Amino acid sequence: MPQSLSLSAAAGPKRPSEWLRALFRRNEIALLLSLVALIVFFSLASDSFLTTRNITNVLGQASLAMVAGIGVGVLVISGEIDVSIGSLAGAVGIPLVVIMNMTGSLELGIAGALLLALCVGVVNGFLAAYIGINSLIVTLGSMFVIRGAVYLYTGQKAIPDDLMLESFYQIGNGRLFGAISYPALVAIVLLSAFIYLMRHRPFGRKLYAVGGNPEVARLAGYDVKRVKFIAFVICSLLAGISGILLSSRLGSAVHVAGLGFEFQVVAAVVLGGVSLAGGIGSLFGVALGVLILSFLANGLGMLNIATEWQLVTTGLIIIAAVAFDELKRRAK
Amino acid sequence: MSEITQPAKSGPVAGRLANNSQIVLLALLVVLCIGISLSAAQFYSVENVIAILRQCSLVLIVGAGMTMLLIAGEVDLSVGASLAFSGCVAMDVTNKTGSVFLGALAGILFGGLVGLFNGLVVTRLKVNSLIATIATMMILQGGVFLYTREAVQNKHQQPAFTDISTGYLGPIPLPVIIAAAVFACAYVALRYTTLGRYIYAVGANAKAARLSGRRPEQLKLLVFVVTGLLAGLTGLILASLMNTGQPTAGRGFELTVIAAVILGGTSLLGGRGTLLGTLLGVLILKVIDNGIIILRWDQNLQMIVPGVVIVLATYLDLVRRRADAR
Amino acid sequence: MHADATIDEPAVATIDPAMEMTGIGKRFPGVLALENVGLTLEPGKVHALMGENGAGKSTLIKILAGVYQKDAGAIRIGGVETDLRSPRDALRQGIKVVFQEIALISEFTVAENIFIEEYPVNGVGSISWKTIRRDAAALFERIGFNVDPAAKVGDLPVSQQQMVEIARALAHEARIVVMDEPTSSLTPNEVALLFGVIRRLASLGIAVVYVSHKLDEIFEIADTVTVLRDGRRISTKPVGEHTHDSLIQDMIGRRIENLFPRSRGVARDDVVVKVEGLSTDSKLKDVSFEARAGEVLGFFGLMGAGRTELAKAIVGYDPIKTGRITIAGQPLSPHNTRTGVSLGIGLLSEDRKTEGLMLELPVLQNASLASLEQFARAGFVDEKREKSAVQAFVDRFRIKTPGLGQQIKNLSGGNQQKVLLARWLMRGLKVIVVDEPTRGIDVGAKSEIFALIDQLAAQGLAVIMMTSEMPELLGLSDRIAVMAEGRITATMSRDDATQEKILNAAIA
Repeated sequence: MPQSLSLSAAAGPKRPSEWLRALFRRNEIALLLSLVALIVFFSLASDSFLTTRNITNVLGQASLAMVAGIGVGVLVISGEIDVSIGSLAGAVGIPLVVIMNMTGSLELGIAGALLLALCVGVVNGFLAAYIGINSLIVTLGSMFVIRGAVYLYTGQKAIPDDLMLESFYQIGNGRLFGAISYPALVAIVLLSAFIYLMRHRPFGRKLYAVGGNPEVARLAGYDVKRVKFIAFVICSLLAGISGILLSSRLGSAVHVAGLGFEFQVVAAVVLGGVSLAGGIGSLFGVALGVLILSFLANGLGMLNIATEWQLVTTGLIIIAAVAFDELKRRAK
Repeated sequence: MSEITQPAKSGPVAGRLANNSQIVLLALLVVLCIGISLSAAQFYSVENVIAILRQCSLVLIVGAGMTMLLIAGEVDLSVGASLAFSGCVAMDVTNKTGSVFLGALAGILFGGLVGLFNGLVVTRLKVNSLIATIATMMILQGGVFLYTREAVQNKHQQPAFTDISTGYLGPIPLPVIIAAAVFACAYVALRYTTLGRYIYAVGANAKAARLSGRRPEQLKLLVFVVTGLLAGLTGLILASLMNTGQPTAGRGFELTVIAAVILGGTSLLGGRGTLLGTLLGVLILKVIDNGIIILRWDQNLQMIVPGVVIVLATYLDLVRRRADAR
Repeated sequence: MHADATIDEPAVATIDPAMEMTGIGKRFPGVLALENVGLTLEPGKVHALMGENGAGKSTLIKILAGVYQKDAGAIRIGGVETDLRSPRDALRQGIKVVFQEIALISEFTVAENIFIEEYPVNGVGSISWKTIRRDAAALFERIGFNVDPAAKVGDLPVSQQQMVEIARALAHEARIVVMDEPTSSLTPNEVALLFGVIRRLASLGIAVVYVSHKLDEIFEIADTVTVLRDGRRISTKPVGEHTHDSLIQDMIGRRIENLFPRSRGVARDDVVVKVEGLSTDSKLKDVSFEARAGEVLGFFGLMGAGRTELAKAIVGYDPIKTGRITIAGQPLSPHNTRTGVSLGIGLLSEDRKTEGLMLELPVLQNASLASLEQFARAGFVDEKREKSAVQAFVDRFRIKTPGLGQQIKNLSGGNQQKVLLARWLMRGLKVIVVDEPTRGIDVGAKSEIFALIDQLAAQGLAVIMMTSEMPELLGLSDRIAVMAEGRITATMSRDDATQEKILNAAIA
């Protein structure tokens, strides 16, 4: 049994001394150490890395993947997957900007964007959880359909924000007290909320149970389909929020926004120790996975290493991380 | 006490059970063709039919490998990135050696190497193939730009390089011939050889196959390499078609291929699927594509329709199988 | 056949029954699992449910647990007719079931698993981990179980996991507690503890259903016994009216004389399998034995004794740490099924679905998997020869299938098992290892499998049979080896073997 992977799944009821011992068996520690090593390395290698400006910049970048990653993490823990989040994150920009242009109201725009995300989540969740179609196929399908619909609607052109609303600019680029960017704030709030949910709410535990062993979950009286359905909706809503922030940073609804985003996010989630088989992993791990990939990308950029290396190293790190987990599991 | 679930109903036709869904696909294809030709007569023109076949050939070549891979219970999402890289390698080596043959060989072999890498990561390091090949896709997408900043041009304007895709054998374009040959080989291998049987067995139940003295890892590795080689071949043809090695070619190609294979009735869970189904799946998707163009519909529908079709096809398959189980 | 007509109904209870099932019927593809079965539970009484594997006990329990839905009949709980459409319905009605297969989330701690059906929450709806820890510890204290509530379930041995399952059924208010073979992997001390718990439950007015095929346990703990056979109720009586013999008579019926046909003569002298000092990392410790051509060597052991591990190690499926395995004088390279198969040893796995059948594929391909090369020329399969070879086995084994193209998932368990046997015999084996060969198979089909195994031995194969079924072991084996905790604790000949001797060695 993957003790090292037990994470928050076993973190619940523990005495303090055991908690400490368990902590060191967990792979969050390895991830955390990797992150620290990465930061130390890049700050030694480049003067401009460890500056407030750069760090806030990285955190801002990481926030978008973090928000979407929380959703994907929740869904993968429940034993399903969603690869349509990139298309969705791109697509929500359209109702956002179009409604804003029409009504002049950012709030209505955001409501429209979230409504779209909700609809996508409901459709994905209905087809996958209730009808029982493999979630990879369902979301591969919606990935095509959403992106195609965006192209169809926009004619493959970006839709500009005509009103240049300051508030629209602020949500993606502004800072609270000039220090912490709003996207980072959103990410931190959502992360805390969902970590709390996954550890301390019965529903969070149901997500683990349903992903870990659906049959046992059913015997324990859980409505497995409903739990998975809700996970799909959560995942889409968070992808939608991520898309709203993205759209604000881009300053318009860009038809190609979020291309390939799903792969980045899935990669970070897996790197963070969430098992694709379901039932294993923690959102804290997901957050670390996102941060590692973001700092790596940024650091390599700082060292003037071609940005393409980021993709290469990311790919290699994912293979190494998953293979390492598997080896540890087999060693036991 | 009756011991058999379906005494009479499925008796003699049971062997053709897998073909039921193919009849549906065939009917769908016929309906599509008739529907499109009623609104646009040029659908049946020789040029258009050849254009459709040429379109199909690229997807079919990789689709043949992907079908075997899915039957063996694995998947490869890196084929799109791999074929772009292979095309660049083929063009580059052609430029450097002056030999189209060596260039072509290098391109195909590069694809094979990618397949070998995927196969080793999946079978030796035991990384889930979905994740492993997403990672490979990233590595290749980054790597190809490190290899070449921009598109690799056919510097010496070697006509032989473009002939690979634009040449004809009689009235039939070369890519179609190549695809037909690949398809025929794969079909025979899967249908009539022990190798094909073992691929099904490994996908249907790897433990049972191992208990029977097979080696699931080696078989899977082989199928990964074959899929890689076929992606390399497709990259070569695509580069020839564009007369350049284009690093950004093939984005999303893996999804089209998987869509066609799944539409053809191959199961993501392994052990189930046929190449004939894949052929029909490819034809349907490409006829839809073509129909959208000649009916002058918005070309962006080319993304939406396959998305809906995959989900629908999987749903119908599910319904049929649930009915079976009763 | 019409056993129902002669059932002695227990005297009318003075108290209202806690639950009443009448005329319950359930059909699965190919099998009529239950036909017109009734069961009445009284509060404060322990009702034993007995029967052989495949008699319908598990199906009846799963209907009670809401896992399966009945096709016919009625369930009344506290006098009210109720439909148990899901496990949640059953839980709401106060029905707690301890399943034979471990139904715990292995990633969760022991304490959390106790409360997954209903987490204690505080005022704002957060889980109160403190309550969970405290109540779990208190619960274990109360019933005398020695399990660490903070341990992860997946890290515990099977017997402790089973204790956790039992504890979970007691964590909340229950009206009916059902235990499906709860003692299969418990030590005698744990069994004594469990019986104490059951008596306490009964004294609280809870109706307990106790499923087992261990006669001694029934006489110790039960008030009433219902025996099922072939999906029908054979009898319901107070336990005092039964003797060992009458219970066995009810369970096995008239089939006992012809269940184990024996056509073979004496085993030959040539040793086909020789295992010396075999140990594995996971379980086995210094296992040595020989099996001769023409004999059935039966291995008996309780759950977790290492039977399946032994089976998998000697065919080369699992790695071994030390030891030597020779097949007909040739050494088998460990952890390599290829040499095993080519030397002529094959395994009929206990887990048909995950290690034997290719469910989606037809009978033909399932049967020929291990022998395909025989029908191949230059890599191409000669399907005509293949089909006629498979057809020959279908006829010989009387496998009931509409055709060779039929998907194997549509056959009954017994016929599936025969196809898997054919898979090996088409190869011409020297040794066949059969692990729980009749698990999940109708009683009728069982005797056919027994007959086939007997024929195999008669033809000169060495048959190594792993089983946890005492009648099967005694009826079929020429020699018996008993395992406990990864070791062979006793070997005896068929004539010397008694149920007591075997059990004593199995518990050692």
